Amino acid sequence: MNTPIQDPATFEIVKNSLYKIAEEMRVVLAKTAYSPILKSAGDYSCGVFDCAGDMVAQGPDLPIHLGSMPDAVRAVVKAFDQDVHEGDVFIHNDPYFGGSHLPDVNVIRPAFHKGVHLGFACLRAHWPDIGSATPGSYGAVTEIYGEGLRLPPVRLYSKGELNKALEDVILANVRTPDERKGDLGSQLAATLRACDRLAALAERYGARRLTAYMAEVMDYSDRLMRAALSDLPDGEGYFEDFCDGDGIADGPDGEDAPFWVRMKVTKAGDSIIVDFDGTDPQVPGPMNAALSVSSSGVFCGLKTAIDPNSLIPPNSGCWRAIQVKAPKGSVVNCEFPAPVVYSNHEMSHRTADMVMGALSQFMPDQVMACSQGTSAVLTLGGVDPRTGNRYVSYETIKGGFGARPNKDGINVIASGISNTMNTPVEVLEMAFPVRVEHYEIQPDSGGAGRYRGGNGARRRWRMLDDASATGALCMERMTSPPFGLMGGHPGISATVTVTSPGEQPRHLPSKGAFNVSPGAVIDMITPGSGGYGLASERDHAAIGKDLLDGYVTPSAVRSFYGVNDPEELLNVAKEEDQ
Amino acid sequence: MAWRIGVDIGGTFTDVALVDDTSGKIGVAKAPTTPKDFAQGVLSALAQAMDRYFIKSADVGLLSHATTVVTNAILEEKGARAAVIMTRGFRDVLELRRSARPDLYDLFQDAPANLIPRRRRFEITERIGFDGAVITPLAEEEIDELIESLRADRVEAVAVSLLFSFVNPKHERALGKRLSSALDVPVYLSSEVLPEIREFERTSTTAICAYVGPILASYLERLERATKGLGLPRMYVMGSNGGVFEASEGVAMPAMAVESGPAAGVVAAALAARQAERPNLLTFDMGGTTAKASLIRNGLYETTPEYEVAGGASANRWMNGAGHPIRVPVIDLAEVSAGGGSIAWVDPAGGIRVGPKSAGAEPGPVCYGRGGTEPTVTDCNLILGNLDADSLLGGEMHINFDAASAAISEKLAMPLGLTVEAAAAAVIDVVNHSMAEALKIVSVERGHDPRDFTLAAFGGAGPLHAAALAEELGMVEVICPPIPGAFSALGLVGSDLKRDYVRTVYVRSDLADPDSIEQAYKEMEAEGAAMLDRAGMPLDRRRFERSLDARYIRQSYELNVPSPSRRFDPGALAQVSEAFHNRHKQTYGHDNRSEPVQIVSLRLAAIGEIPPLAVRQTPLASGNPLKGQRLMRGVEGLVLDRQKMPAGYLVNGPAVIESLESTICVPIGWQAEMDGDGFVKLMRLETGQ
Repeated sequence: MNTPIQDPATFEIVKNSLYKIAEEMRVVLAKTAYSPILKSAGDYSCGVFDCAGDMVAQGPDLPIHLGSMPDAVRAVVKAFDQDVHEGDVFIHNDPYFGGSHLPDVNVIRPAFHKGVHLGFACLRAHWPDIGSATPGSYGAVTEIYGEGLRLPPVRLYSKGELNKALEDVILANVRTPDERKGDLGSQLAATLRACDRLAALAERYGARRLTAYMAEVMDYSDRLMRAALSDLPDGEGYFEDFCDGDGIADGPDGEDAPFWVRMKVTKAGDSIIVDFDGTDPQVPGPMNAALSVSSSGVFCGLKTAIDPNSLIPPNSGCWRAIQVKAPKGSVVNCEFPAPVVYSNHEMSHRTADMVMGALSQFMPDQVMACSQGTSAVLTLGGVDPRTGNRYVSYETIKGGFGARPNKDGINVIASGISNTMNTPVEVLEMAFPVRVEHYEIQPDSGGAGRYRGGNGARRRWRMLDDASATGALCMERMTSPPFGLMGGHPGISATVTVTSPGEQPRHLPSKGAFNVSPGAVIDMITPGSGGYGLASERDHAAIGKDLLDGYVTPSAVRSFYGVNDPEELLNVAKEEDQ
Repeated sequence: MAWRIGVDIGGTFTDVALVDDTSGKIGVAKAPTTPKDFAQGVLSALAQAMDRYFIKSADVGLLSHATTVVTNAILEEKGARAAVIMTRGFRDVLELRRSARPDLYDLFQDAPANLIPRRRRFEITERIGFDGAVITPLAEEEIDELIESLRADRVEAVAVSLLFSFVNPKHERALGKRLSSALDVPVYLSSEVLPEIREFERTSTTAICAYVGPILASYLERLERATKGLGLPRMYVMGSNGGVFEASEGVAMPAMAVESGPAAGVVAAALAARQAERPNLLTFDMGGTTAKASLIRNGLYETTPEYEVAGGASANRWMNGAGHPIRVPVIDLAEVSAGGGSIAWVDPAGGIRVGPKSAGAEPGPVCYGRGGTEPTVTDCNLILGNLDADSLLGGEMHINFDAASAAISEKLAMPLGLTVEAAAAAVIDVVNHSMAEALKIVSVERGHDPRDFTLAAFGGAGPLHAAALAEELGMVEVICPPIPGAFSALGLVGSDLKRDYVRTVYVRSDLADPDSIEQAYKEMEAEGAAMLDRAGMPLDRRRFERSLDARYIRQSYELNVPSPSRRFDPGALAQVSEAFHNRHKQTYGHDNRSEPVQIVSLRLAAIGEIPPLAVRQTPLASGNPLKGQRLMRGVEGLVLDRQKMPAGYLVNGPAVIESLESTICVPIGWQAEMDGDGFVKLMRLETGQ
């Protein structure tokens, strides 16, 4: 038998085939799912795993799940050990068993070839609702028991037989069971496709050779990560940042109190240690993160900085050179039964951005200023008067992508641990009783700098006249603006208001549920990203072009860039355009 | 009709392929491409061809061509000064895109270029609701000012994309009418270009039309004037879907002409695949400026319905946000900037680089002696003996060996401290590696093992590099079809006339009215028939294919199922629902018969069949092709004349097989054989492992 290294051509083909399988899972899910968050917005991750639960290939989905999905598969391996058979399907969502938060439901299916266990396919999909008191399951509660249905690793199919009782329990606990059944069906179809493809690879190359290649794919990424690390300067960086709050109004003046995250990054040779020592203890509301969630953000930030041109295949092998330490019972390494629903994306955004801040102290050419730093989740739920059916809408709105050492940030695009898509306005309005009245770029929201931060967006929803909803918001960076680096300004922080007909706009706090009356409007401005370098060093032609396109306004140019006569720069840009 | 003529305008040469319908005889001609006015190059190539084969204009029954103007305009960001008009509040749809980034971990990635910058994105007050109801009437009073702004900005084309226009196009049409009558520029309405849900994809497709429309229109106009002047018939254009269409159709829907040239080559290769009984082919098409790769399985090429222009060669078929989406079917292929004219250079770190700059046709490689001073891939092949001064362009051009050698010496060998030969060999290795990457994108990256495929090599430079590439990919067979230089042009005269029509209906299959569906199909058939009338397509060669896109009502993506060609009645409705459930099960492994089926779009393909074409250049019964011997990479090898190779003739490498337009390189360890149809087959003698 050829070892992988002796046959680089076959290795290359098998490696690409494994990544292709993860990508094909994505296609099957998107094309068959029922809820807009899956079929249009792409809030899910696909992966191929070995028998131990290590991730061999991550699909081109969401970085957020990179670090935590292997834990979810390992939880199944631990719970069922050798009791895994062809035709079995496992399901679970428990953050205390390697899940991320309850709405993210993992469907895990073992792959076999002629009785030989090859590994697993796992599809983690965000369900728009998993029960709890609030439609969308994004309420500000103080125990995980309030966050919805908890599923420890359990067997949904046994040798091809559906466990109907389990399915009934699941569907009885979610708000839109028909839609959930369709989504679950697409998760089952996508994992089945992946297992079929793995079996076909085993048929072609042999089961033992395939699993040897799977191990080699991870070793390969490990070698590349270590080689890249060795080429970078050694050093130590420290960074601290505060979060807006946890959704519980328990501050001294009845406000939602901020709390701190602290991080030290030490890089020596071909390895790196990230230590959260000094971070605040876990909080009452759902901003607590399991360590695997905090680590996902760390991995995402480090991967981007260490391999900035993205040449190393993402899988579990990438993380062997990285060690993450965090005090037990802290907000980045919480203990049962702390609630977690917000932290899944908000804390991993935070740790990914903070890694950049810490690294900037010894490798400033490999980092970016802070991006939007939030998934900006807005859920709306109620009864659609057009059909009489219940609905739950879940959207994530994008802000700015951080400025880099050699170029501007990007306006309104997914950054850091997130890579979901927006829901097209036409799809949203077909599905839910709302109308979007604008969705556009918010000028001046990116931080000034030698390289400007990316601008955020503004979006307005109006409830239809005979529809009302229970809304919930989860949005960091309302009081803690996205930081700039190397002298760049921070981005503009987020704001959300709700305005009932005939009333004044009311500012919403960063997290929690609220009522939306018929005809009310919700206005959201997402955070811009931080700038990089001193604003006084920005090229004047670039400022002129920004003025011409309205990405910045003359008054902001005067106050942030110290330019007395913006009109002159604008006129030069206009002439250039002719 | 007697002769069919296909004209392929490449980056370097304009190639012409001719087929005599009665005898099956094939002819070729070529002239340098003239980028300032493509019509010149086309006319001189056509004049040459008609002269050489004694063809009168009246004998030409079909004239068809492939063009790179649309793709080039987008890649080089040299399209028209276009504006887009959106519903108020939605100015930035083109830039907000779908908000996902193409690469998860790339620190330095850029968003795709704004083909229409924010300064030329305008808004108008109006709003249509999800059900087509008017929420806010079109603000007619704003239109005059809008027209003034467009005029003041000297825009050359306008795209209009209003929300929910695919349900109710009333506002778009009213606005479009006012704009068209006031402005002397083309106006593209999203409800006509792509009446489909999802505002970004629809706007992007419409914006691409506005961005390239004026360029395509003026180009086609000049070309048609010229060919009509010669008394030739109407000229067709190869579409990205592998069919040809009329020029006027193209101007109405310019996005159809994306990847026109590469599509022609793939269509030709599919013809060859069937004929050579090699249903699984990797195709490799290398010309003067670029190399393209695609994959043919079971004799068929693959098209992708969601294509991103300028999305990079490694673009996945899944939408990945790297380019500009167009929702028209496009043949799946990968392209790299590597051709005979690609310029080799030494980077500051002492690495050898090839391309992306090309010497093109003017000035061309140094050895052409037309003012080129930068060494190219062709110059290096000449130095290595893979090409010969007498064989380049059939010896019709004076070749300056010494100038090529001097340029390689000065620009490559001296800076690198190598001999001229070693520097030339390094250039060939580098360019081969980058072309192998393109072949891997369509095979390995898609999960196909190249070792299961035969490599089909064409384009002026394809056969020269093919065996080396096959070697790198572990492939053991290469076929070199006849007329390699003009092979792509054969695809142009061997593909059917084809235009796709679509109507979005959004109706549940259990609530649909069969009569109104029948009515919609009938309307589309009338449009298609009018198109075929204009093309003069006889009735017995017309075909209309009905299909529809359906999905479960809560899904977002459709599957296409055939629709019966008989009158659409309740029985037909039941039939398409059943077909949908089955198709869903077959595609995704499950179905859900309790869920309502929604018919989203009705599709009609209007096809004018072109009689089948044989790719054949019958070799001589006997003869001696041996021309001589020369050093090839330092080893003495045979030089053969392809025209004089009889069927069944075998030769072992090292050897080169020369013809007017191309040279086949047979390396050591490979054997070449001429078959009965004029295909040269290369086989690896010992298969490693």
